[in-house]
Amino acid sequence: MKFGTRWPPVPAGILIGISMLLAFIVAGRGIGASGAMTRFVAWIQHGLFPAVTEQSAYFGAYFADGAHPLYDYVVFLVVGLIIGSFVAAWLSGELRVEVLRGPRSSIVYRLALGLTGGVLAGFAARLARGCTSGQALVGGAELSLGAWVFMMCIFAGGWMAAWFVRKQWI
Amino acid sequence: MDMIAPLAKTGAISAATNLWVAIPIGFVFGFALFHAGFTDSRRIAWAFYFKDVGVPVVMFSAIVTGMLGLWGLSLAGFLDISQVYLLPTFLLPMAIGGILFGLGMVIGGYCPGTAVASVATGKIDALVFIVGFLLGSLLFGDMFPVWGDFYNSDYMGVVRLDQVLGIELGEAVLAVIIIAIAGSLAMRWVQQRFWPTTEDDPQRGAKRKLQGGLIVAALAIGFVLAYFPTEAFIEDNPEPPYYIVPKTASVQ
Repeated sequence: MKFGTRWPPVPAGILIGISMLLAFIVAGRGIGASGAMTRFVAWIQHGLFPAVTEQSAYFGAYFADGAHPLYDYVVFLVVGLIIGSFVAAWLSGELRVEVLRGPRSSIVYRLALGLTGGVLAGFAARLARGCTSGQALVGGAELSLGAWVFMMCIFAGGWMAAWFVRKQWI
Repeated sequence: MDMIAPLAKTGAISAATNLWVAIPIGFVFGFALFHAGFTDSRRIAWAFYFKDVGVPVVMFSAIVTGMLGLWGLSLAGFLDISQVYLLPTFLLPMAIGGILFGLGMVIGGYCPGTAVASVATGKIDALVFIVGFLLGSLLFGDMFPVWGDFYNSDYMGVVRLDQVLGIELGEAVLAVIIIAIAGSLAMRWVQQRFWPTTEDDPQRGAKRKLQGGLIVAALAIGFVLAYFPTEAFIEDNPEPPYYIVPKTASVQ
């Protein structure tokens, strides 16, 4: 049976689960994406303001004992993620430069909300110590109480705001 | 029998090898994200309108797969669960973080992993989301003293659902599988009711058969973990490692 570009959700989810399981078996930890983003932004700020960043209560730990913030498991994982997604899109003939949005949304409106949502999600992922993958999926598999609460609150927050941004999507 | 996994913790592979193996693991993750349709912000946002409930169904499937693998392999004596980094719970910061994250997802259309995967396929809105995400992370880190106390509050240690509910771990695994199946079917029903599909999918029957088979397989493994005395099958492990934290252990 050929799935085409869009797989049915269960086999697609199982493959994501397999990548998580491989990380458990090989590294003894889960997968995640937000940690790499934090390290990346810490690295950029360190290039501009090294002293401030090294003394930062939050980012300082990334530079302890002369460590490089990008020499870390989560960063290597995200490099693989980028290649994997690129190859999958390439094989499917879906590599296209475009702005994805609903039929009633202008490009400017979409990009403004994309930036706003990014700031919110970036802040929230730090507060919750992880994102959809690193906290919700991995913690969900580990049966972690905090991860399940986090996941339910994601859907609660999303449904709360959905009505207000409906013109962007539907 | 010495447990051989996690490979990086038992010394089977070096720390440097572990880092390089992360790239193919990430590759599988990114490859799956694309084929799940998660490089399309509309598809992610539509979950919140019940227009396309693929997001929660994919998430449930991933969780059930990881959960059965993690606890099943540790029960089978292959994976030393005490060497796996388990996420601790900071209840209130995670709840507030979840709500803010949900707002960010429906407003921005991505989460970090899907945004990075989407940029790799050429999507400009994902790039803008990532710029915002980096700014949000920077804001959190640079103004950490303002919310540092809250961030570290409500600490409960590594606490699992079975401990909270006072049931066996295997029963919690089975409960999660049942909730995943019931939740997916319920959301699919709501989607069909409010956004009925007009196009005819010729592969509908085949897809249904495949997904039904996978669901039955997951349920079967769940029942074995929950109700069969699996430890009796494992000669070298009189005390199954998955009970490293007994259900009666107090929450630290």
